Amino acid sequence: MGLYAFLFGRNKLKKPKREQFFSIIGAASAVEERENLSFSHYAGVVFSPVESLFFEELDKELRDLLKISSLSTNTKYKILDDSFGARWVSFEDKDFEDLVEFAHIINETFIDHGYGDRLIASVFGFIFQNKKAYWIYYSKRGKFYPLVFDNKEKRDHQLEFRLANIMTSENIEVEKSDRWYPLTGIPF
Amino acid sequence: MRQRGYGKDTGLTIRMFFTSFLLLLLYCFFGLFLFSMGMPLEILLILGIVMVAFQFFASDKLVLASTRARVVSAEEEPKLHAMVERLSALADMPKPKKIAIMDTHVPNAFATGRSPKNAVIAVTRGLLSRLTEKELEAVLAHELSHIKNKDVMVLTWASLIVVISGFLMQMLFWMSIFGGFGGGGGRSGRGGGGQAMLVIFAVYIGTILVYFISQLLILTISRYREYAADRGGAILTGSPLTLASALTKISGDLARIPEKDLRTVEHANAFFIIPALSGKSIGNLLSSHPPVEKRIEKLRSMQADLEGPSKYTDG
Repeated sequence: MGLYAFLFGRNKLKKPKREQFFSIIGAASAVEERENLSFSHYAGVVFSPVESLFFEELDKELRDLLKISSLSTNTKYKILDDSFGARWVSFEDKDFEDLVEFAHIINETFIDHGYGDRLIASVFGFIFQNKKAYWIYYSKRGKFYPLVFDNKEKRDHQLEFRLANIMTSENIEVEKSDRWYPLTGIPF
Repeated sequence: MRQRGYGKDTGLTIRMFFTSFLLLLLYCFFGLFLFSMGMPLEILLILGIVMVAFQFFASDKLVLASTRARVVSAEEEPKLHAMVERLSALADMPKPKKIAIMDTHVPNAFATGRSPKNAVIAVTRGLLSRLTEKELEAVLAHELSHIKNKDVMVLTWASLIVVISGFLMQMLFWMSIFGGFGGGGGRSGRGGGGQAMLVIFAVYIGTILVYFISQLLILTISRYREYAADRGGAILTGSPLTLASALTKISGDLARIPEKDLRTVEHANAFFIIPALSGKSIGNLLSSHPPVEKRIEKLRSMQADLEGPSKYTDG
């Protein structure tokens, strides 16, 4: 936090980091090697919309873009608002690299429109030990973290730490555990 | 690349700077004044720092206790926790340690705590029942901005001068009643009793002045930080007008609800999103918060900036 922000109480939203984004591709080899880990074939991008005409422009362009890109990769997608003030683009594709590419396109569209700071995370679905698991790319910090939910939708921290170890072994930078936000309401 | 802005509030920055500068001057003046009058500066400073440090480190517990807010777990209030979590993620800050609920119908909210990790956000039952989801989110974002801006830290430590001068004021008051420095052992006791009394009287008057001026300056800074938190909250939710409508609802309800209920929350006012003052006797100058109309006006101009003509910049 800079001196200016401290003295005058002016904190801006952080711009997204994107250097580590494609390290998720390493997931593919992790999944091939392990029996207890598989793709759920779902991924999503979650962001916080802005009430402004410019944002509506972005929203419209994004919807057009998704329509076109989903045709070429055969990706199914949905846009929905959750009850915590965020909007989700969730998509389904058998090919993992297509999912990553799709998430990347959405991220870049936001950044191109100057709305990168509204991005919260890109979420990739897995099944880990028969439980719902996610690898979350946290845009503000440019690192990944795991989320695992048990059958009662409660978080399983033990499995999360195990998943984090798998991620680290695939050379994916893992965020500190105090920032493993649960992202309640993941739509897939 | 197309850039959209929330507009700049340069006026606010300038006023904040000016007020902080005045406060700094007052600190210097008070220090020199006490020194020249032969007051035990080190002792006063240490005492003041100890008192403020206690306030600072116990801030969350003190306020929770005095407002009788009850800390609620994520299982009890999953939605509230999820909202705070989502906003924290967007603001790139750890989720505040505690979320609490006050059992009163007065719609209000506050945040306190010395650091983001030790922060507490509390809302009243009235707030949960009266605001829409979006408005609740806007209020939470305002409170999170207070935490992110470290307002408790800034205001508590800036108040050091208030604490010291207030303490000295009381001490001198009792001294003058019981007659000078007990036993004449003080540094200024040499010139005879009459002169010592004169010095004490001069220090007393000076200290009273410093106490009131510093109080006014701190309150001014507090109001400015309130504007800043409104701004930060509006940026966080991306909708200044939602916060404006929440403020209207809260302030309108505060005026309508019978006084008896208000009293129960009145002593922790400095931390609330809108203070629950039951009378109109306290002028704007003596309030820790700016008038709601002005806050709404600022939020509306922010929205106008959001919708304003787009600016293109290179790169």
